[in-house]
Amino acid sequence: MTSDVTFELNGAPATVAVEPHHTLREALRRLGMFSVHYGSESGETGAAAILYDGRLASSDVILAASAHGHRVTTVESLNVSPELHPVQTAFVAVGAFQSGYSAGAMVLGTLALLDESPDPSEAEIRDMLSGILDRETAYVKPVEAVKRAAAVMRGEETEPFAPLVLEPLTDGYRPAPPGAGGKVPEAPQSVPRLVPSREVPDMAVVGKPEVKVDAVRLAKGNPAFTDDIEPRGMLYAKVLRSPHAHARILSIDDSKARAVDGVHAVLHYGNTPRVKYASGGQSWPNPHPYDQVSFDDRVRHVGDRVAAAAAETIEAAEEAVRLIEVTYEVLPAVFDERFAMDPDAPKVHDEDDTTHICDPQRNLVHHIAAKRGDVDGNLAAAPHSFEQTFRVHQVQQCPIEPHISMAWLDSDERMVVRTATQVPFHTRRMLAPLIDMEIKDIRVIKPRIGGGFGAKQEMLIEDIVAHLAIVTRRPVRLELDRAEEFYGSRTRHPQTITYRTAVDDDGTLLAQDMRIIGNTGPYGTHGFTVQIVSGLRGLTSYNAASKRFECHVVYTNIPVPGAYRGYGAPQAEFALEAHMEDIARALDLDPIEFKRRNWIKVGDEMDIAPHLGERAVAEEELDEYPKVMSSGIEECVAQGMREVDWDRRNDESWKAPADRPNIRRGLGFAFCMHGTAIPFLDMGGCSIKLNDDGSFNMLIGATDLGTGADTVIGQIAAEVLGVPLDDIKVYSSDTDMTPFDTGAYASSTTYISGTAALRAAEAVRERLKARAAMLLDVDEPCTIELRDRRAYAADGRSVTLEEIALDSLHWQEQEQIMGTASHVSPDCPPPFAAQFAEVEVDVDTGQVTVTKLVMAVDCGVAINPVTASGQVEGGMIQALGYAHCEEIVLDDGGRMVNPSFGPYKIYRADEMPDTVVYLVQTMEDSGPFGAKAVAEIPKDGVAPAVRNAILDATGVAINDLPFTPERVWAALQEAAG
Amino acid sequence: MPLVTAYHRPSTLDEALDLLSSPERVALGGGTTLNADREPSDLEAVDLQSLGLDAITDAGDGLVRIGATATLDAVRRCELLPDSLRELARLEQPSTLRTLATVGGLVARTSAESLLLAGLLAHDTRVELAGPAPDCSLAELFAAGLSRGSLITAVTVDPSGSTATARTGRTPADVPIVAAYGRRIEGFVAMALTGVGVHPVLVDVHDPTAGLEPAGDFRGSREYRLHLAGTLTARVMQELYP
Repeated sequence: MTSDVTFELNGAPATVAVEPHHTLREALRRLGMFSVHYGSESGETGAAAILYDGRLASSDVILAASAHGHRVTTVESLNVSPELHPVQTAFVAVGAFQSGYSAGAMVLGTLALLDESPDPSEAEIRDMLSGILDRETAYVKPVEAVKRAAAVMRGEETEPFAPLVLEPLTDGYRPAPPGAGGKVPEAPQSVPRLVPSREVPDMAVVGKPEVKVDAVRLAKGNPAFTDDIEPRGMLYAKVLRSPHAHARILSIDDSKARAVDGVHAVLHYGNTPRVKYASGGQSWPNPHPYDQVSFDDRVRHVGDRVAAAAAETIEAAEEAVRLIEVTYEVLPAVFDERFAMDPDAPKVHDEDDTTHICDPQRNLVHHIAAKRGDVDGNLAAAPHSFEQTFRVHQVQQCPIEPHISMAWLDSDERMVVRTATQVPFHTRRMLAPLIDMEIKDIRVIKPRIGGGFGAKQEMLIEDIVAHLAIVTRRPVRLELDRAEEFYGSRTRHPQTITYRTAVDDDGTLLAQDMRIIGNTGPYGTHGFTVQIVSGLRGLTSYNAASKRFECHVVYTNIPVPGAYRGYGAPQAEFALEAHMEDIARALDLDPIEFKRRNWIKVGDEMDIAPHLGERAVAEEELDEYPKVMSSGIEECVAQGMREVDWDRRNDESWKAPADRPNIRRGLGFAFCMHGTAIPFLDMGGCSIKLNDDGSFNMLIGATDLGTGADTVIGQIAAEVLGVPLDDIKVYSSDTDMTPFDTGAYASSTTYISGTAALRAAEAVRERLKARAAMLLDVDEPCTIELRDRRAYAADGRSVTLEEIALDSLHWQEQEQIMGTASHVSPDCPPPFAAQFAEVEVDVDTGQVTVTKLVMAVDCGVAINPVTASGQVEGGMIQALGYAHCEEIVLDDGGRMVNPSFGPYKIYRADEMPDTVVYLVQTMEDSGPFGAKAVAEIPKDGVAPAVRNAILDATGVAINDLPFTPERVWAALQEAAG
Repeated sequence: MPLVTAYHRPSTLDEALDLLSSPERVALGGGTTLNADREPSDLEAVDLQSLGLDAITDAGDGLVRIGATATLDAVRRCELLPDSLRELARLEQPSTLRTLATVGGLVARTSAESLLLAGLLAHDTRVELAGPAPDCSLAELFAAGLSRGSLITAVTVDPSGSTATARTGRTPADVPIVAAYGRRIEGFVAMALTGVGVHPVLVDVHDPTAGLEPAGDFRGSREYRLHLAGTLTARVMQELYP
């Protein structure tokens, strides 16, 4: 029953026809308020928060009918001119938006807060932000933005937001001398501490805290995300998901579903082609096995696809899937990787059309092995040997924007897929066989993405909307709800990891043996490569005479693991750094000194790397191994130790405060090493062309998830072309329009796509110089320099780039000045970091409170120190959730018991530890302007640093994640006997 | 969310009670519970916003009356109430939901994990009801449940006494696994616990786990919750009697 609802919207009356069940969020989006985004039905993400009679409120849980007569304000109310409102400007100025999916809510919350409290305390600011879950920023820069906005609104002057530049404490190679450093530098925690390298020249655009190129669109809440356009005649899709962890589908009766008014199609195994594939968004050829089909007659986890319906309304689609009658033969299931290979374990894949499973009778998907040296001999002969087993659990990426795709056939009957993906080009290639179309007839458009973190490195739902679009010949949209996002998308792989390490009397490692049982759930997808990265990260950080990696990747019936930021490294580095800590304690060595003795240094070989990987040389010894060419780890350690006052580990009055007898304090450290892109595999392309006014269009296939990739790559091009960043108009990515790129993963974008941009810009620069030489009558174009939007001859004469553009496009010897380049790297330069954690442990309850996190990271040259520090802040807090409170919990039947925020706990603004980031520059010659990766390394060290801090505080070592109160309490009880 | 098939906005209490006499109709407060419910079931919503039940007033005799549709945010801001209860209102929901969630909805939900409900319990809260059921104490309401056709119109709180809180959660702002809220007045302590029953409970401070049968879940086993009940009660007592 439709009725008209009228409310005041942004100062003017608005009337909208709604059904009784429609929410205010839905009504507002129908009224064109695209800043209001879906995050969940229950409103706790805050992505759909608006001002409701002047107070911040989630429109997800307000019935549209309830809003009748009320006053509703969205961020669009501020968009009265091209300029930003001062609050929007403040958020932009400090880099507070990453994906910007919840930008409108943050700006509105700030307006309401400042209206009531012009000079709010940090606690008030954090309380305001408590209802806006941010998976990206750790709230550090949003808090700073509110403070800045408050100051501006009070009429105060503000300084440009810039890093705090520090003097180094080391010579770059050796540890800091005793007593080095003095006082901890004072600055708000939002300000990145930058330790420059003398090897890095000063530049005009690179290395500067430039405002993001997409800042305006995000701050204004302009339509930018997948859901922010609606093709005419669009249908809504819904997926029927399995209630069973493992079952055979004996029959499906869809007659009642098809009879629902408005339903146009119902798809399932009975009417959809059976084409085998692997869903992981990876380079061709995808690693085997191809163990999935769009719709199967077998379900292998609770939440697995059974069928999908498309209808005129989402309600009709939901009704249709409810009415599909499915007869299941329920099969036994296995969830724990440690039991998956047992002879009597249920067989997850016994179909005969999946090949390349290592041993389907044992649920063994892959057996991965690599070795250097005589591990067994060294273990047997060593004076000290240690063995420990660690268990890491399953968590979800939790992008606030869930998976969403829409597909339609365009006027040429080509398939267009607009989708929230990190891998548009892989998706196009992988989709083609499933829908029986050629790659050339598919166009994948990646609009703005509301976070991905690896979950969207997957061809997850694009095949469903494409199938439905073909059948219905109508545009079809599918968005996962929050529960589906938890158990129907992708997660981090659980693992059981065992280390055996041999150590000489002087603390030198002799052998490291790492064994993993990796749980890839019911499908292979990223199961092979994630485990390889675990081996790579777990056996590269420290030098040892011999190393061995053995991994069994097994099928189970848990929700599907896939790519998640860090990609196998967080699991491995938790085990490794915990293991190394315990060895140091057992040998009565200082943990940092012990690790320093063994960690990999400049010039050392990364000797296991060539033996692991998609194109690895498994057995034979190589003549040459890749080497570490840059490392700032000593400076990172020195800065981090000073920041956390590391010597407090020896101060009993601090560790056991007299006025809080149940509290023990501790400090923990983890050495972190990651990779930068996949050598010989990751490839990015870039095309740049000159416009009439001397500006440039830059087309890149790289995929900005909110990371700032568009900005960083733009800065690289701007530096080469001698123009401000604003003269580079970045477009990414669209498979019809932009060059190929493997996508946003493997910490590759700045290094790979950035180098492609560098080379494309260099090609353009050569033509600009040639044209300038013509105009200036200079014989040698190589003497021309580009800067400040001009081309200068050696004698000081110059022409503007606009003059060159007009001349080249319109006047003489016309040409389109443009450059295209691509890049693939033979190198994988590792970023390094020192991660520190400070904790308080309540020894009576087991509650752990993390009070401070410090990461000092060597990411080479940070092209943009503000976006780089934002990556570190956000990554650390995701990692803290992994260590501390996040977990997917399944009941005995494999059903997730906590598929919503709250029960699945992610950190919110009013409970954050202090978070401080140091950027330690090194010059990595293989990277663009010296850059290495920064996006994933923040995920690696938090869990072991927290674990080691708990150990420091209590003397109790805990080898399973997460450190929930009961687990810690139980460990304390056990230790107490 | 449930499939709301009809929406009603009564303007008088009698009209609301008449509407709610039908079993398919459900009272709608702020919507944070009802509209967030993931189980699809058809219902009709009876929106209470026009009944004028949102005032928080001095009820005399040192008591404070909180209207059923007063939001948790209004409780947080109300200077008639002690800081401890205001803080519990802040902790109960994040900023974007506490501006919608109502006190009546909170009481009707009887959530075992609600720290604010535990606080109200310790503050001798009485519940005013319209319809067939008489007014009762919050503890009585928990025991008997809200009878069909009855509507919570207000709660009356005794704000006096000194208070203390102790809680254990996964993170500082997590919904506590177990929490204890104590109120000391005239030599007596009312101690309320969350997370140890089907709703918050008042316990004997000398034997806080007596009679408790908490259901364990992934955040805390039965044994762990009982341990916390004892530990947190002792902490609150120590703070109340330093």
